[in-house]
Amino acid sequence: MEFTVKSYRFNPEIDEKPYYKEYVLNDFPGMTVLNALMKVKAEIDGTLSFRRSCRSAICGSCAMKINGITKLACKTQVSAEIEKFGIIKVDPLGNMPIIRDLIVDQETFFDKIKEIKPYLLGKTDHIDDDFKALKEGEKIKQPVYYKTEFQNLTGNNDTPNCILCECCYSECGGVVANPKYLGPAALAKLYRYSEDPRDNDKNGSRLVNGSKPAGMFDCVHCQACEEFCPKGISPVKVIVRMHEKAIKNSITFSKGAKHIIGIARSIQETGRLDEIKVAVDSVGISGILNDLHVAIGSGLKGKMPPLRLKLIKDMEDIRVAFKDLNLEEKHD
Amino acid sequence: MINYAYYPGCVAQESGKELDNSTRFIAKKLGINLIDMPEASCCGGGVVDGFDHNLKLYINGRTLALAEKLGYDILTVCNTCTLTLSEVNEELINNPESLEKTNAYLSKIGLKYSGTVKVKHLLYIIRDEIGLDKLKQAVTYTLDGVKVAPFYGCHILRPSSVVKFDDVENPSGFEELIKALGAEPVSYIRRTKCCGFQTILVNEVTSTSLAGNAIYEAQQNKADVMVTPCPLCHLSLDTYQGVAAMNINKKLSLPVLHLPQLIGVALGGSYAEMGFSRHNISFRAVMSKIKQNKLK
Repeated sequence: MEFTVKSYRFNPEIDEKPYYKEYVLNDFPGMTVLNALMKVKAEIDGTLSFRRSCRSAICGSCAMKINGITKLACKTQVSAEIEKFGIIKVDPLGNMPIIRDLIVDQETFFDKIKEIKPYLLGKTDHIDDDFKALKEGEKIKQPVYYKTEFQNLTGNNDTPNCILCECCYSECGGVVANPKYLGPAALAKLYRYSEDPRDNDKNGSRLVNGSKPAGMFDCVHCQACEEFCPKGISPVKVIVRMHEKAIKNSITFSKGAKHIIGIARSIQETGRLDEIKVAVDSVGISGILNDLHVAIGSGLKGKMPPLRLKLIKDMEDIRVAFKDLNLEEKHD
Repeated sequence: MINYAYYPGCVAQESGKELDNSTRFIAKKLGINLIDMPEASCCGGGVVDGFDHNLKLYINGRTLALAEKLGYDILTVCNTCTLTLSEVNEELINNPESLEKTNAYLSKIGLKYSGTVKVKHLLYIIRDEIGLDKLKQAVTYTLDGVKVAPFYGCHILRPSSVVKFDDVENPSGFEELIKALGAEPVSYIRRTKCCGFQTILVNEVTSTSLAGNAIYEAQQNKADVMVTPCPLCHLSLDTYQGVAAMNINKKLSLPVLHLPQLIGVALGGSYAEMGFSRHNISFRAVMSKIKQNKLK
């Protein structure tokens, strides 16, 4: 089968602006997109630049956008892409500056990985935690694992399997919105260490630091990290587990934590999501005043939610749930 | 008539009542009988899992049990409700331990869940169960000449291991529906990207830039209107459109409709019936164009 590879090209030393170049190839059974790119480089155009190494979906070097979705080129079959899109269009990873062609600058990504201290803290390690969320003498509640569970420490989330390929980071809506956001890979690593009983983080400083602006509460829950991880890891799920752990350990100074608590409290009181109450709980009166023009605009259009919500029918059922789970007094 | 347990979600009952009204309008026209569940609670807005995972299981397990008791599948009109209810459904069906503890709670309130309910979004109920041919037949005002930018949002597509309605890499259900109404779907990259709503109260500037970029791209591709199947996306895209424009420093003025409003217009709904006056960006110019397209 003859098919076309359409590749993003840009060499800042000679090109004024990026452009696409097309190469026509013949496939062979089982041909991957990386095979195709290597064939282009070997036989048609030696100037095409891309990263690659293991060809076995282990090293994570060849991540790129293939027909708009970030994938490992070595794990992506040409035939499947052609069947769906009719072409192999390749672009560099998103959310990172482009160095040349399909090669991006990974420095910021790895700086963020380093920022979460991706190693077990020893007794003498100091972690920067200028914000003390826990009371004097209070210890963070760490999970206790049995030996058998320890082998599968992170359950189905498999965060230690991360190959740092940057697929999640490239697709992350949170990073698109806020380039300073730590991103899914760094936060999945934060989870991996914050859940490890060998880690000597006795005052919860990992979660305190992770709760700061551009941290775990800046996740937009777009689910792209889970969807496009080539190793089956779900960063968004473990980010949510860290939210729960932070809130249960009273690390609630962030707007994000207040937002989550506000929604839970609203459900406890009315069975519904009280839009006004949740907004006030999340950003406070000053935050509401900042957005007064939006509120007034909506009000004039008749979109202002009711000030006092009608309780859902059989509201007592919801109270039983909160009581059963011993969540009644944990809101404040 | 096809019966569904109707789960409008909170926004459609509060600030986004036009979504609920237009859903009821088109349901009647398409032979969908919406059975109300006044006992159903909030799903947790996509974040209650971060408060307590079991609470997410209990309150949504209760909603699933209420639908099961009625004997109907659930019809949703919100992406986030769809994903949350689907996630809980998957967990209760596949994890006996989760089902057992949820049923222990449900037994205290006179309910039980055995995992028979399916959670379906209106978009895909129309495509898969009502059928696009039936939709076409119901059209009284063709949307011929109207360029519609579909904004899928996240939770109707991802994670595809849970919400399995469409091809996550290249979805087409929305475009097929738009074509059935006679309109032209606009192709643009951000149709499947995030609207940023989940962090709108956490970091408004960065959050609204996501919505702003999507609107700008749709505008650049000559869209007359953007349509979304999710009321949370609608808040980002319409209510916060002015804020988004300021934050991305671009001129934005694109009407954004809820999915059933677009269908409702094609099925003869008036400006008032569809609640368009509740939107931030006026739909009047496009509506006037459509009203000239009455089919004989």
